[in-house]
Amino acid sequence: MSGFANVAEYARADELGQCWLTAFRKTVASAATTTKAWIDYSYFAGSPPANFYASAPSVAALVERDKGFRFPDVTPKTQHLKTVNVMTANTATAVNARQRLILCDYLLYYPFIDTDAIGETQTMTNNADDPLVPAIPRYPAGKVIAVAQSAASTIGTFTFTYTNQDGVGGRVSQAHSTFAVAGGGQVVSADGGGTSFNPYLALQSGDTGVKSIESVTFTGAGGGLMALVIVKPLFNGYVTQECRTTTGVAYGAADEFMSIINAAGAPQIKDGAVLNFFAEGTQGSLAGSQLVGFVETVWN
Amino acid sequence: MGWTSQDDLITQLTVNGKGDTVTMTKTLNSAGTAGAWTLLSPHNGWPIASTFAGADLTYVPTDDTWAQGTIYTGGDVSTATKHFLTAGGCVVAAAGAPWYIMAIDLVGYVPLTTTNVSTTGTKTVTMTALSNTASKGDRYANGVGLRMFVASSVVAMGANAPTCIINYLDQGGAAGATTTFTSTASMGVGQLLNTGAAANKYNPFLPLAAGDTGVSDIVSLVWAGTAHASGSVIIGLCKPLWCLPLPATGLYSKMDLVNAMPSMRQIKDGANIQFLLFQTGATTTGGTVNIDFDYGYGG
Repeated sequence: MSGFANVAEYARADELGQCWLTAFRKTVASAATTTKAWIDYSYFAGSPPANFYASAPSVAALVERDKGFRFPDVTPKTQHLKTVNVMTANTATAVNARQRLILCDYLLYYPFIDTDAIGETQTMTNNADDPLVPAIPRYPAGKVIAVAQSAASTIGTFTFTYTNQDGVGGRVSQAHSTFAVAGGGQVVSADGGGTSFNPYLALQSGDTGVKSIESVTFTGAGGGLMALVIVKPLFNGYVTQECRTTTGVAYGAADEFMSIINAAGAPQIKDGAVLNFFAEGTQGSLAGSQLVGFVETVWN
Repeated sequence: MGWTSQDDLITQLTVNGKGDTVTMTKTLNSAGTAGAWTLLSPHNGWPIASTFAGADLTYVPTDDTWAQGTIYTGGDVSTATKHFLTAGGCVVAAAGAPWYIMAIDLVGYVPLTTTNVSTTGTKTVTMTALSNTASKGDRYANGVGLRMFVASSVVAMGANAPTCIINYLDQGGAAGATTTFTSTASMGVGQLLNTGAAANKYNPFLPLAAGDTGVSDIVSLVWAGTAHASGSVIIGLCKPLWCLPLPATGLYSKMDLVNAMPSMRQIKDGANIQFLLFQTGATTTGGTVNIDFDYGYGG
């Protein structure tokens, strides 16, 4: 049997070498980010290297594995998240690095959607259209996040059609807004007038996930480019205080989250997973800040 | 065995004296590299700076009697088992925060110097494979749970950044190879060449082949591309033990390992406890690293 039958097996996995620790260091670009809006750490420089969603426009694609935290494949065993430990570094004058974190498995994305193409149905290319195009991997469906691939100048409005978790096509999302952002890597989806920021796009009533996206239609211009990214959220955490020294006074906090102790169970990390963080800067811009930490897994 | 209960733990510590506190301090010989990890053993302080003696390309097993700077943790306690109870640390440096300190048991290393660093090609290693005996060199039977890294050892690295791959035998004796990494030019003493904030870096250990849970034998190191102009390195073989965050200069962090999950990582008889330092920025030359831990044993 794969997985853990009891706490003893969970503890013993480490003694058996069935564990991995990978550390990361990501630096948010210098463009200001919006307070309480979200950013995509995969888009920014560091280790792992930046993922710019740079592939053929509107064609479904996979994020390269080296753009996510590196973990081994363990089939027929199953791998689970054991520990997430994070800290932020910042300068003395930019002290707003408190942030919420969501660790996601990046499944599938559709790049270079033109947020200025008002009234035009932008058709996406999927595996059903071309067998060389990948289908959603690892999970039957996921949640959708809109990531800016450029600066955006204004509030746009759009819907998208998709196939839901049950394979039913022709579903239509709720109407979403985008908002002005200063650079790529910032999540651009918002409610209403662009002042309430969503990590995930709302779906047609009754749906819990998206298997593929068929088209995107803008009815209000957003002034930029974006990618729609289908993800599987695995973990929710928080960075409580930036690390810095100001006039000789040291501040800082590390935040550690442990499966089993801090949460029921331990999320599974599937073979081939591309893991990275989305984050919501709750107190101000995250521009120029660094997120460092490590993620540990165990398998059995 | 360890302890049968919290009561037993308290009794062994307070009545029978089966435990102690260990401290160490290191001063960084050179500035660090932002986003990279550093092996502290070749830096000055207590324990003494390691020089990684040994014949080139020949594996050197180490234990708690290593003459080049190890920490004494009370010697052998078998048939009891010894465990970490707490870990604490603090870095004082003008730059580099925040940091992580990782404790490792350095089971052994392979030194490479001069032309084994400054030329490309396959560098074949002489090593008797780890097995399942009572020898302290085999304290992790068949190398289960062991990880590898490549660190600048005594002479800082010169120009150029070749790619590097390590061939090894896994815990079952099957051949494997790490993922190829790209080295970094001009890294200082102790810094891990496979780490950093860039593509083709692996922090802090080299990924193993799929399905592998350990390393029983280091077979060879292969440099490709343009060789380092100079420098000396080791291939380190170690067991990761715990990882402690240090958020800011001068802030002391303490970690309770009794109530964590899984708890109380074992200190094997013969363990050569060493430390890796992760630095977000480039830690200042002369920065000091202070580490302590408590351990205990039952039985």
